[in-house]
Amino acid sequence: MRLDSLIEQLTEDLAPVRPRRLWLDGAIVALIAAVELALLFAIGFARLDMHRMMTQPTMSWRLGSFSLISVVSGWLAIRSFDPTYSVRGALRWLLLIIAICAVCGMFLSGAPAGVVSIISRLDWRSGVDCASKIVLLSVPPLVGLALLGRRGAPTDMRRTPLLVGVSAAAWGAFAFVFSCPFNDPLYIVVWYGIGCGLVTLVSRFVLPRFARW
Amino acid sequence: MAAQTGDAAAYRRLLTEASSWLKSYYSRRLPPSMVDDVAQEVLLSLHTKRHTYDPAKPFGPWLAAIARYKWIDRLRAMRDSATDELPEDLPARDHAEAVQSAHVLEALLARLKPAQANAIRLVKIEGLSIKEAAQRLDQTISLVKVNIHRGLRELSSLAQEEGYEA
Repeated sequence: MRLDSLIEQLTEDLAPVRPRRLWLDGAIVALIAAVELALLFAIGFARLDMHRMMTQPTMSWRLGSFSLISVVSGWLAIRSFDPTYSVRGALRWLLLIIAICAVCGMFLSGAPAGVVSIISRLDWRSGVDCASKIVLLSVPPLVGLALLGRRGAPTDMRRTPLLVGVSAAAWGAFAFVFSCPFNDPLYIVVWYGIGCGLVTLVSRFVLPRFARW
Repeated sequence: MAAQTGDAAAYRRLLTEASSWLKSYYSRRLPPSMVDDVAQEVLLSLHTKRHTYDPAKPFGPWLAAIARYKWIDRLRAMRDSATDELPEDLPARDHAEAVQSAHVLEALLARLKPAQANAIRLVKIEGLSIKEAAQRLDQTISLVKVNIHRGLRELSSLAQEEGYEA
């Protein structure tokens, strides 16, 4: 009886809706990211020796890796806002891509000479600064994806926030590459990894509360 | 798809079919007292998230995914809700006498004619009116009354024979 009255009520409330479009969600996130990057360039965030840096293999590796991870995970995150989409397999592929990117960086880095060398290469003061900037730069795409997730109907509240976090973090790292004064792949893997990991953790624990439906 | 374009009749039909499927789905997964609540919750979600349904794909998996999500959500809430261990000496009414009486009554009814026993069960135990019982048993009202009257008299004598107090 209660179900019948609810059905009547919902039928009375019925209004036409526009079905969700994946490409539109993707375009919204891309627009947010593009605006953020344009603003950063407009305020002089980029390194002054950018032209010279673009010829460096580590620069290509960073830009290629982070853009690839960000686009793939962002697309998977948007798809995971559909209740029928299975995130498990997608996340496995994404982890493989991240691992391949990290291994490529380690090849560029070469073998470390010793523990002291590793500690000096990591330069923790600058590293903390880099990681915190990556976190800040990740906020706009993270908010955009979170709002889209709230509008969608994600059903895997453990893995979908991970995809959202990885995508936003990778975009934050991508944007930060243009300003980062360090080129050492070891430094990048460690500190960028910490920054991205923090964003992913925040997304993993905050997004389920925000996007639960 | 009709629901997304605002077709009320199609939407009502869809929700009615979905609700019966949901009841069957949850009756196998949740305590009976929760089935209606969770089914309602899913219907509300189906309404608010109907824009996420892709008309190019079948509806069943979409509904099943939402139903499963809400089911897991409810299980998680049940796990997280506080539960207190009941004390060993919790005062509770003793139903032994009532159970024993019901058992004895059923045994005595089994010894009556079926027409009399059925009339007594429907009117005196289940609480139906004479008219409703007559319709259910496909008998006239006066025949039901006669069956009840004779059945009760027979029951009384059987009880006395067995040594039960009236």
